[in-house]
Order: sequence, then C-alpha cells, then structure tokens
Amino acid sequence: MSSASLFDAFKNYMAKNYGKSHGKMLIHTGVIGWILSAAAQVMAIVTNDKISYKQKMYLIPQELADAAVNIVSFYLITQTFKSVSTKAVNCGKLLNKPVREFLEKNNIKNVGKKTFDVLRDGKLPADLTEKFESFRNGVDFIGTTAGSILSCNIVTPIIRNEIATHKQKNHIAKMEEYNISVANPARNYFEKPSIQSFQAKAYSSSLKI
Amino acid sequence: MSRIYGVNLISRMSGAITDTIVSAIPKTTISGNKTQKRIDWIGEKFSSPENRLILGVSALMTQPFIDAQNKKVDEETRKVSVARTVAKIIAGTLTGYYVRAGCIKLIDEMTKLPSEVKNPNSFGGKLRMLFTPDDAKTGALKSLKKYKNALGTTISLVVMLFTNFLIDAPLTKYLTNLFTDKFIKPKDQKGGTVNE
Repeated sequence: MSSASLFDAFKNYMAKNYGKSHGKMLIHTGVIGWILSAAAQVMAIVTNDKISYKQKMYLIPQELADAAVNIVSFYLITQTFKSVSTKAVNCGKLLNKPVREFLEKNNIKNVGKKTFDVLRDGKLPADLTEKFESFRNGVDFIGTTAGSILSCNIVTPIIRNEIATHKQKNHIAKMEEYNISVANPARNYFEKPSIQSFQAKAYSSSLKI
Repeated sequence: MSRIYGVNLISRMSGAITDTIVSAIPKTTISGNKTQKRIDWIGEKFSSPENRLILGVSALMTQPFIDAQNKKVDEETRKVSVARTVAKIIAGTLTGYYVRAGCIKLIDEMTKLPSEVKNPNSFGGKLRMLFTPDDAKTGALKSLKKYKNALGTTISLVVMLFTNFLIDAPLTKYLTNLFTDKFIKPKDQKGGTVNE
C-alpha cells in the first residue's frame, strides 16, 4: 500500500470513527494523553534535585498510580457517564422539546425503551435531525466532561494518594531494614574468632586446655 | 487472552451499569429555550481544548485539597505534593489547551472543501485540502467540524509526545520549585532540599 493511500485510509478512518462522536474521541485521546504525561512527569521528579529522596519515594508512585488509576477510572466512570448520556438521548429518555413534540404528535411508539433509536425509529425530518444531533452532542460533551471531572479530579487523587502512601511506607521500611543490616551485619556461621573472644573462652571456667 | 477477557469484562460491566441507569431515568424533556440553546451551543462550539480547560480548572479546585488532606504522610511531603500537583495542573492545562487548540486550527486551515479553495490544483490549494476526507468531498460526511476536531486532537497527541517532555515537565519542575521556595520552605532552609 502506498503512503498516499495509507494517508487516505487514515483520514477516512478518522472521519468514520470520530466524525460523529465527540465523547468517544475525548476518551481515547485522554487515555493516551495520561500515559505520555505520566512518563514526562516521572522524569521531571527524578531529575529535580530540590526534592528529597524521601519525597521522591512518595511522588513517583503517586505519579505512576495517577496514570494507572486514571485510565481505569476513565474507562469505568467517564465511559459510563458518556454511555448513559448518549443512550438516554438516543432512546428518547432525554430529549429537547421540538423532537419530543414531533414524536408525540406522530404517535411514535416505544419512545424511551432500551431498544428504541430516535434517528432510526423516529422518522425525523431533516431540520429536526440536525437539531437532535446538536442536542445529542451537547449532552455527550456535558456527560463526558462531568464523568472526567469525577474520575480524574476526585476518584483518582484519592486512590493514587493511598497507593503512593503505601508504597512510600514500604520503601521506608525496606530502607530502615537495610540500614540496620549495614550497621549490624549478621554474624557469619563459621566466624573467625578474634583474639579477645579466644582469650575470653580460653580463660573461662568452661574451657580447660 | 486474560487482558482481552478483562477488557470485555469492563465493557460488559459498563454496558450493564449504563442500561440500569438509563432505565431508571424518567422521561425528561428540556423545554427551556435558553437551556436548549446552551446545550446546542456547547455541542457545537466545545471540543477537546475546552474539555481540557474545564478539567484543569476543576482540578485546581479539588486535587490540591485532596493532597493536603492526606495525613498518612509527613507534613513536608504533603506540602511538596500539593505544590507539585498545583504546578502540574497549571503546566498541563496551559500546554494541553494551547497545543490542542493550535492543532485543531492548523487542521481547520488544511481541511478545506474544493469549493472553498481558489485554485484547487495549485500547490497551495492542494495543501489546503490535504486533510479533507473523500466523504466530505462527496458530501457524505455532514459533520466536517467534528472530523477536524478529532483529527486536530489526534495530531495534538503526536505534538504532545514532544511538548510533554520539552514544556510540561520542565515547567512543572520550575513551578514546583517556585511554589516550594515561596510558600513551603522555611527561610533558613532555602537553597537545600526539603526534609533531607
């Protein structure tokens, strides 16, 4: 496949997949954005000489957890918010006045049911289809943004802080364990006796030569 | 295999939750003229840069306070964490907004319909139609604006691959140190590291 036709295929893929949906594009680009951002931020923490080692032990896991939790909560919370808002409009649970009036006036059945699709089953005229689509886009954007605020700005910081705290405590415990072992190294099993210990044993009452 | 199963599980869970919530929502009609116009306007005008801006502003209102409430870490770490969070939000929001908006503007300039270009066969004309999809030329794609937004946002991801490292991270580092020096470090500690 030539580079020109690859480029055309890319353009047509974008038009087909994202040309009608704001929310889907916001979710997909958001996830990739978090991964890239986390990588850069970890580098910034590592290279920041003004942050102490102890604080880095908290900030690096905090940043990594931020990206990981963000992705999961983005898919669970933001995707759910987006799906609920889109589905509520698509099936006719949430509609603007002109579309609702048209559906009622034309006695369209099953509006609001799970399987109902306003565009497919509503037989809307062209001007109402346009009004419906811009209303749906607005609700889609509001739903996706509300979900993003909840997941990225409330749920993620709480969970990432818990994870980072746990990681920092583990690191500190390991470091303290290491420091103790360096200060008091374990005695070798076949330890060579020092002259003092040999004399102490030799002249004690329990060892007679 | 297990990863695919995990993704499917999340997708099915999300689908089941969506269905349950949607069936619980009562039929609602947005009848207020102003509200309708606002929703339409948001759908028409807002895209990923505005989404990033809204997320950044709301992040400033929540994240620093959540970090400040984490009493499980010592006070110094907590304060540096707040400073870094604020710095990261400011740097990330500014670059995120401008990179997205700039890329969408660039794509807009290079996604013109043949009727909008003076000489479609000249080099300049071809350049201005470089990203125009076939569907738009034939009239099959109605929402060219959304396509431009989506493509601009995707291109901005590639740009952010560089700006994350060249602008975001250094700016976050600079602002973190600035906030730490100004608001956190006691005067006698300036110049050294906090809690070393």
